[in-house]
Amino acid sequence: MTVKTRESKFERIISYFGKAMAYLVMSVFALMTAYPILWLIMNSFKPTPEYRVNRIGLPRTWTLVNYVGAWKIGEFSKLIGNSFLYTIGASIGIILVATLAGFAFAKIKSKATAPIYGSFVIGILLSIQSLMVPIFLEVSQLDRIINDLLRLIGIIGQQNINIFYNSRLGVLLIYIGAGLPIAVYLCTEYIRGIPDSLIEAARLDGAGYFETFRRVILPMAVPIAMTVTILNITKIWNEFALINILVSKTELKSMPLGIYRFSGTMASDYGKQFAALVIGMAPMLIFYIIFRKQITKGVFAGAVKG
Amino acid sequence: MNRRPWKVVEERRAYWSMISPAIILYIFVFAFPIIISIVISLSNYAGGKMFGGQSWRITGFQQYVKLAGDPYFWLAMKNNIYIVLISVFGQLPLGLIFAYLIYRRIVKFGEFWQGILYMPAIISVIVIGIMWNIIFSPYGLIADVVNKSYAAGFSRQVEQIFAEAGGFQITDQVVKQLIAVSDPSALEIFAEPIEELKALLLAYSPDQFAVVKQDLVNLLARKWSAAFLAKRDVAMLPILFVVLWMWTGMYLILFLANMQKIDTGIVEAARIDGASEGQIIWRIMLPMLSGVVVNAAILCIAGSLNSFDLVFAMTGGGPARVTQLLSIYMYDRAFMGAPDYPLANAIALAIVIFSLVLIMLTKIVERRYGGRE
Repeated sequence: MTVKTRESKFERIISYFGKAMAYLVMSVFALMTAYPILWLIMNSFKPTPEYRVNRIGLPRTWTLVNYVGAWKIGEFSKLIGNSFLYTIGASIGIILVATLAGFAFAKIKSKATAPIYGSFVIGILLSIQSLMVPIFLEVSQLDRIINDLLRLIGIIGQQNINIFYNSRLGVLLIYIGAGLPIAVYLCTEYIRGIPDSLIEAARLDGAGYFETFRRVILPMAVPIAMTVTILNITKIWNEFALINILVSKTELKSMPLGIYRFSGTMASDYGKQFAALVIGMAPMLIFYIIFRKQITKGVFAGAVKG
Repeated sequence: MNRRPWKVVEERRAYWSMISPAIILYIFVFAFPIIISIVISLSNYAGGKMFGGQSWRITGFQQYVKLAGDPYFWLAMKNNIYIVLISVFGQLPLGLIFAYLIYRRIVKFGEFWQGILYMPAIISVIVIGIMWNIIFSPYGLIADVVNKSYAAGFSRQVEQIFAEAGGFQITDQVVKQLIAVSDPSALEIFAEPIEELKALLLAYSPDQFAVVKQDLVNLLARKWSAAFLAKRDVAMLPILFVVLWMWTGMYLILFLANMQKIDTGIVEAARIDGASEGQIIWRIMLPMLSGVVVNAAILCIAGSLNSFDLVFAMTGGGPARVTQLLSIYMYDRAFMGAPDYPLANAIALAIVIFSLVLIMLTKIVERRYGGRE
């Protein structure tokens, strides 16, 4: 009897020790995650001369001068509008195209579904960054061909017009296309779960396919549309690799391209560099604080099946 | 069952008009670029107008032959493999363990940990890359912490040396001891370290000990530098660390969400039967989560091939190309200096094939060892 209690006491010590270890590991990792970000935010409020002597502590003088400077150098007032346009435009585009296709794949029987839907699913795994060179060739060559044709039939003179390369339309189309595979997959699987009887009922009311889509499918698909859109907003706002090769004019660039200007070359003006980085992450951090639950759900949804 | 209520023609027309926007965009962004990369990689296209410009033709597989013998290609491939490995064998196990700790309520406040650990994943990779570049730089966080500890250690040694000498006495013995504890590279400023340092120290008056100590620390204490990162074998380490740092939270969330679907009764029963937490993870959780683990691994591999922006912002592939990835190499070939489109497209195709091979491997592993979903 006594032996048994001693054993369980020993076990309890072990389990307390394990618990302490677990908390320790968790805290170390959480601290490693949060501290660099806090460090960055803190330093963005220090004047650069103060950073040279006080790299770790809280600012002794709080200043916004870095933000004013960084905003000007990064030309962020030109970029932030584009970021909103690309993010909102492409998110809406993706969800419209994906729910429409999802409805067709899920609810209309066709032999074409298996190969076409299958290639969308494969697209989830393709690394879009590996295609940036051919995509660049495609958009720039298409523009040349279209310009030549237009010139041939006399619509434009010597000047060139940008349709896909160096144009907002081009960026939006590429972003929508790049977001489609996962969105089509999630929407199709979701719409499959909507009861056929609802669609039959709409049909008995005399509704055509597109009206059924508008009246029945779209309202029912709001939850998945929210999940997909929230997933896309964070992805598109932060996207860098593609837009980097799609536009070269400042007035078409997005925020990440502006922030990239602050890599390396700014090495002597830390204050502005820190402020630029905070400007870069603040919108998504705020978005995260507001929509954390939904973002988490999106991560989960995006990975349920391979 | 009744006959399908819609007419066949109407049905077919609706089907195709509904999926055509998606198909056209998919072709525009995925299918057609892949075809372009196949054609251009087999050609001698040198830029300019593809149609109606300088003529070019299909010349065969020599780009691939060139790649096979290109040491930079294989270095980039090796770095890509490192990222895949740290992703699959770093992020996944850590994510799984953290998820388990929260799931079993071994640590409380699960929401809090999740909220913090996922945070890096929603921040722009460009911001993350530049931020860590600063942190690892000689003017960053790590250098500051390390230098402070070096300086504190050095100033203790200086105090000790003078205490043994019995006060502020400048003898050859003291100078030699000072030199012994100094950073060798800092001593390079002296041609004759002993003579010159002695002369320097004699210039101070004996009551200025605190000033002397501070000056010695500034001059001779070891300083942290990230110069070791220029070496081929370690240059990838900071990048691998950041990769791990960024995405572990995502797998924590993924695994936790799936664990929460498992009946807690099973785990409780195993616990009562005397199974340890380790055994529960290995014998119960992993088999039940095997489908999820495989999907996570596939996701992980696909994601790790999208590390272009992180490396681009953090090191740009440097120093001396040692942190180059396949995608960075491709970018350099196409957009830096004289464009070499055939080679760049061959690399593009190599990445696509590489990712498909890895994903197939994962599927095979799943089929051999995988349990039920």
